[in-house]
Amino acid sequence: MTPCNRPQLQRLLDESLPEKAERDLAEHLAACPDCQSALESLAGEKQWWAEASTRLGKSSARPPSSSRSTGHSSAELEATGRSNALSEDDDAFHFARDFAVDFLDPSDNSGMLGRLGEYEIVDVIGRGGMGIVLKGYQKELNRFVAVKVLAPHLATSGAARRRFAREAQATAAIVHPHVMAIHSVQPDVKLPYLVMPFVGCESLQERLDRNGPLDVKDILRIGMQTALGLAAAHSQGLVHRDVKPANILLETSVDRVLLTDFGLARAVDDATLTRTGVIAGTPQYMSPEQANGDPVDHRSDLFSLGGVFYAMCTGRPPFRAETTFGVLRRIREASPRPIREINPDIPEWLERIVIRLLAKDATDRIDSAEKVAILMEGCLAHLQQPTSPLPTQLDQWAPRPTVHAIDSPRLSPRLTMTMWLRLVIGAGGLGLLILLVFNLRDPRPRVVPAPSQSAQTSENRPEVGTENVPKGNLQAGNSPLDWNSLDIELQGVDQALESMESNSQDIWGPATP
Amino acid sequence: MWEPETRPSLMVRLRAPQDQQAWTEFVSIYQPLILRVMRGRGLQEADAQDVAQQVVLVVTKAVERWQPDGKEASFRRWLFSIAHRLALRFIQRGYPKSGVGGTDMLNLLDSLPDSPSDVSDEFNDEYRNEVFRWAADRVRGEFRETTWQAFWRTCVLNESIADVADLLGMSTGSIYVARSRIIARLRVIVEQFEADHGT
Repeated sequence: MTPCNRPQLQRLLDESLPEKAERDLAEHLAACPDCQSALESLAGEKQWWAEASTRLGKSSARPPSSSRSTGHSSAELEATGRSNALSEDDDAFHFARDFAVDFLDPSDNSGMLGRLGEYEIVDVIGRGGMGIVLKGYQKELNRFVAVKVLAPHLATSGAARRRFAREAQATAAIVHPHVMAIHSVQPDVKLPYLVMPFVGCESLQERLDRNGPLDVKDILRIGMQTALGLAAAHSQGLVHRDVKPANILLETSVDRVLLTDFGLARAVDDATLTRTGVIAGTPQYMSPEQANGDPVDHRSDLFSLGGVFYAMCTGRPPFRAETTFGVLRRIREASPRPIREINPDIPEWLERIVIRLLAKDATDRIDSAEKVAILMEGCLAHLQQPTSPLPTQLDQWAPRPTVHAIDSPRLSPRLTMTMWLRLVIGAGGLGLLILLVFNLRDPRPRVVPAPSQSAQTSENRPEVGTENVPKGNLQAGNSPLDWNSLDIELQGVDQALESMESNSQDIWGPATP
Repeated sequence: MWEPETRPSLMVRLRAPQDQQAWTEFVSIYQPLILRVMRGRGLQEADAQDVAQQVVLVVTKAVERWQPDGKEASFRRWLFSIAHRLALRFIQRGYPKSGVGGTDMLNLLDSLPDSPSDVSDEFNDEYRNEVFRWAADRVRGEFRETTWQAFWRTCVLNESIADVADLLGMSTGSIYVARSRIIARLRVIVEQFEADHGT
């Protein structure tokens, strides 16, 4: 066992230790009571721990006037695991749960919570800002179902109820392997609900909470399936409006994506925005247009999908702040912390895709879910067969498009200088080219502003040595290139290469990523 | 995270973000607090909701008349101070069933005890419970759900660390880390709250 290291404990608390040191320290803690007490005193005095424990236990206790007992304290229910579930917790839930329990009809079976129409309700399996999910049993068909009830504080608005019904019915019309099916909708009762198959699954959010960032392969696969589900909905004119990891279910054992909670978000918006002027639910995956209250189309879902990718890559949402106000502001204005800074295992091309999806202006995003799915498929193929190239669409996006071998006089004259540089340096990748030109002009690496991208830039990392650089015209100070025109030139080159490539496949050799 | 009811006009009135935040915190804390206390006294759900809403309404009207005087934390302290006294008054001595009009409201506010030392210990205790709950809601959002569960189960539900480690698939060591981080963070938030309100 590693020896005690007290000064590290404060850094551990502040989350400022590098990952490996943190893991080692955690391992040490498991076996060292002295360090355990030391850590705990750093966090707070014994009195504080006791007060927190008592008060938090109390403050979530069920109020005494409620009419039915489920045998669980709310503190315990808060800790319950879930499936088919949503992840937000809030005060409305405590109320809603009591209310749901109160409004269920009594069941003949004493083990059940109650009855709802033809369903015996077994348990509350989850809750979100918008509704409660119950596990039900359908006697006639001898199967379990998930019953989702719209939250009471939303169900009083007539407009919200009508919307809920319309959207649920529209969603029920989407039959797709990656969209959660809806068995039936009951819009006309006091608390509207819909019935879905009970599927053993966990949400993507739960997976991320459990395991942290995913492998690239899983990211691509889950991203692809989600995009396919979205494409199915978009083709029916439905915008999801609440794409987030909690709404992406992963069916256990087959790990298949099931997109859920379609269009229901719109019912939420109606009830909450117009009435209160304040947005309900955590908006971490909302698009800028949603954050601004502007009209929304399918491209808004693509922004949110970008946020989901970000979460899969890093384990956390792209925009975080302490208040809803703060999150919305960041969505509108700020760039998320670069993915590769948080998780260096993520390939640069994947980061580029995510950045593209997270463009503030909808017109800058990849414009259809279908394209995203196809892109994912191409990237997966590349992963499985590293000698096959990445999809060429990726090349269109600065700052570091893929380089193809070049040899043609058909390119326009203004590009010749760049081409010549490339011929000389060889097909070592454009990143190499930029780096080398950096090195020649200025010994310190410099950052090239990425055109029409976020304000954040990243330093280029040296990939190979400079031994490929021939002397001669490339002496420092002699280069005729300036940064802005270099960028534009390189983009121009790649566009030209693309059109050439599509014209004549056999001229070019294999691309080097 | 359920955002409390807020009139847009109020939000316009409170232009400074820290004032808006103070308002949001006020509603997040006082509404559930009053609900709990009233339910605890045997009130029916609808009536308990009523009281809670009345407090918010009266305070809203008071805020609409409030004049900023340029001092930093003054709105927040003022808000929480009258909220506290008003809530206590409603709880102790009953509340108007119908809406409170302009002059009525002024009279009501005038009739409130001046110094907070008059307030009952029980209410204060409930209030502090509510502050902790509010702080927990905020802190929870800053951590992964499993981290939160590790803390909640071992510190609040008093389950054994070994059992929770098994349940969550976490190592024992990481549970120690999780709990300590969350306790530390809770302490920061509650202490900040105390500093802001002088409670």
